[in-house]
Amino acid sequence: MKPLRLLLPALLALLVSAVAARAAGELNLFGWSEYIPQPVLDGFTKETGIKVNFETFASNEELLSKLVAGGGSYDLVQPSDYAAEVMIRQHLLSPLDPALLPNLKNLAPEFRQRPHDPAGRYTVPYMSGTVGIVVNTDRVKTPVRGYGDVFTPALKDRIVVLNDTREMVTWALYTLNLPINTITAENLARARPVVASWVKLVKVYDSDSPKTALLNGDVDVGVVWSGEAAILWKENKKFQYVIPAEGAHQFIDVLAIPANAKNKAAAHQLIDYILRPEVSVLISEAFPYTNPNLAARKLLSAEQLANPASYPPGHPKLETFRDIGKDAAAIDRLVTDLKSAQ
Amino acid sequence: MSAAPAVSDRSTPRWRAWLLLAPMVAWLTLFVVVPTAILIVYSFCERDEVGRVLFTFTLENYHRVLDPVYLWIFARSIGYAGLTTVICIAVGYPVAYCIGRAREEWRQRLLLLVMVPFWTSFLIRTYAWITILKQEGLLNGLLHQLSPTASPLDLLYTPTAVVIGLVYAYLPFMILPIYGSVEKLDGSLIEAAHDLGAGPLRVFSAVIIPLTLPGIAAGTLLVFVPAVGMFAITDLMGGARVPLIGNVIQNQFMQARDWPFGAALGAVFMALFAVTYWVMLKFGAGEEETPA
Amino acid sequence: MPATLTAAPRRRLPSGLRVLEVTLTGWTSLVIVFLYLPILVLVAYSFNSSRLNIVWESFTVGWYRRVWENVPLLRAAENSVIIAAVSTVLSVLLGTVGAWLLHRYRFRGARGLQTLVAVPMVMPEILMGISLLILFATAGLGLGFTAVIIGHVTFSFPFVLVAVQARLKGLDPAMEEAALDLGATPLQAFWLVIVPCLRPAIVAGALMAFTLSWDELIVTFFTTNAASATLPIRVFGMAKVGLNPMLNALSALFIVATVAFVIFSDYVKKLGR
Repeated sequence: MKPLRLLLPALLALLVSAVAARAAGELNLFGWSEYIPQPVLDGFTKETGIKVNFETFASNEELLSKLVAGGGSYDLVQPSDYAAEVMIRQHLLSPLDPALLPNLKNLAPEFRQRPHDPAGRYTVPYMSGTVGIVVNTDRVKTPVRGYGDVFTPALKDRIVVLNDTREMVTWALYTLNLPINTITAENLARARPVVASWVKLVKVYDSDSPKTALLNGDVDVGVVWSGEAAILWKENKKFQYVIPAEGAHQFIDVLAIPANAKNKAAAHQLIDYILRPEVSVLISEAFPYTNPNLAARKLLSAEQLANPASYPPGHPKLETFRDIGKDAAAIDRLVTDLKSAQ
Repeated sequence: MSAAPAVSDRSTPRWRAWLLLAPMVAWLTLFVVVPTAILIVYSFCERDEVGRVLFTFTLENYHRVLDPVYLWIFARSIGYAGLTTVICIAVGYPVAYCIGRAREEWRQRLLLLVMVPFWTSFLIRTYAWITILKQEGLLNGLLHQLSPTASPLDLLYTPTAVVIGLVYAYLPFMILPIYGSVEKLDGSLIEAAHDLGAGPLRVFSAVIIPLTLPGIAAGTLLVFVPAVGMFAITDLMGGARVPLIGNVIQNQFMQARDWPFGAALGAVFMALFAVTYWVMLKFGAGEEETPA
Repeated sequence: MPATLTAAPRRRLPSGLRVLEVTLTGWTSLVIVFLYLPILVLVAYSFNSSRLNIVWESFTVGWYRRVWENVPLLRAAENSVIIAAVSTVLSVLLGTVGAWLLHRYRFRGARGLQTLVAVPMVMPEILMGISLLILFATAGLGLGFTAVIIGHVTFSFPFVLVAVQARLKGLDPAMEEAALDLGATPLQAFWLVIVPCLRPAIVAGALMAFTLSWDELIVTFFTTNAASATLPIRVFGMAKVGLNPMLNALSALFIVATVAFVIFSDYVKKLGR
């Protein structure tokens, strides 16, 4: 058992160093992996001397589960709008101090004070995006304007959609012109046949990387995150992004400080640092989402601003998700039932 | 586990056996029994509007588990896992046999050769499979070279792709335990059978297979059981079109935020398994005793 | 002494059996090709200049340099190695001793204990992850290396135990008795006679435990903190941003490192002789 004799001291040393690192001047950040570029964090540490411990998650539900179960202690978290709403309702977030955030002035007003945080007391928008239609225009010659043009028998087995039960039901509610954030049994009953007919047409469900199936040519049209569509457009202009005419889900990823944060001052410092135009533009360069920072947008190239998936033209109908509580279970039951019945 | 180990025929003092058994019993109690108890408590709870667990007693979650939708999903998951296990035995047995009969200094190297592919990231490996199986992928490219007129195979995002993915992922967990059994096969027994006039296939089916049965049984356990709850492969290679029990449980935590129902599904799943396994142990006990 | 008990000396087999063995060797080679097919693709694509790494663009070695520069990724790889190594050692200890005791002693509740051992294999990872997190949070224990290793040992030691038990079935009890008659204590008999005989199954179990720990995502997520984040946590998180050939390069480097380690240890063994 030689490896044991070698490894245990190494492990002990690591544990000790982890404990020792709990000194002052540290910030525990819990965010999407890679979503905050490393140069941004390095620049912050260099300027302030505050060390950033970056712990990562891959979905809002991972973040919520871990916080609700009481694990870890974080100074800054990065949920999406509806997850932030849940956290506010569960008293898991601490109000922000606007006096410590002078760069809030850089943000476009339409991204603040949205229903998830009506007074804008708890959250600061980081990046935003939509869920829309991406079309491989080499393969699909008919015009695609809305959900009805995607889910047609002509495109059977040529469709990728997000693997998310609520998204799919939301699109059905939009086509029926029903509200997306007030779920009633009656509305779900009306949405059911629509979803049932769609489920028969879809080839792939993928929330993590729907662009893969599109780039591989296994499908020709998708209902996906705008960030995925923007990457596709950068790769090849044949991938066109369309915001569905019936209406579309907009998401706003935010920064927020947990109620039990130990270093709230440092968290405010990092938020304000990220809000600087010259820092925010680094994030836009790494991720082609919609940047809510108007001052940063001025520093973007014409090509970046022309990406229809990042900055859609016109005034489409966009709504954020509200937390729907127990109705999420009814939606899950509905879609599971329909997918299983095939 | 309250009973002390009753040492039947040997002179080992009881306390020593207990002392050796204690770490495992303690480990199982702390990290399996207690977490399972937590889950069972949750499965009888309700959730509130924001997804918090409320400690009020309800049987509703178990009512929902008995919904035919979920029973079908259970059955389908067992079907996939069963098929995977059978293919793994057929594909993996000869490999385990070869490694077990190889020259001694080669055995560990060959075992490592089987295992090393799995020391790459699951996600990257699966994307490599996608590159091979997709419509314009390597396999169809090769087929096109061989026969330019044939239409390309539609493999990716089908049940076939799921089975390929499952067999690939679980094959080493079949090969390794069988290897453990093959390695101790007595070559003279095989020769004796042969000398008595048995043909190679007869030797294989009447001598070699029965002697390595414990390895096959162990491999079946290690492949079938985890494969029932698998969800990532069905998502990535099957396009997540057909839900399996692993996906449904995962969704209760990662989409619907319905912990009590997820816990109830898991509790039923684990209970079904534990009862089946216990019964198998009870009635398979005689067979176990058979000396090799 | 144990070697002669475990492996029969190889003799020249009769011709009919030799045909069978040749067929089996051919089949094994095919299976090895099957196992390495995606690995070859993965390594080839680590030299792909396309960032999205879905369609082949052109040759580059740039991703290997990017791996070297990506400190968080290397830290995660280091954590993965430490966690997998420690959990493997603990799993082997717990699994081997457990298998031996369950095999050696008949006691009431043995069947229950045997069933309990198999439960972690069937427990969905998400349930194990969340319930362990609740347990650690309630008990006031912090998350990090210790918590992750506890989780990993819990789901991997049953694999060792099952593999070792399969080997123990049909083991000649006379071996242990002979050792005891010659004056060995039961512990000595276990360590000097039984363990060497179980070696192939222990090696197989250790390989399985290492592999399971190395690639585990969900239990790890719920028990880790920033300092102990493993490679799978990093890799799965990157899906939102897009996987890139850097991860292929890292996988390729790990394979090269493994092969180098095997060659090196062979060389050391030879020197030792």
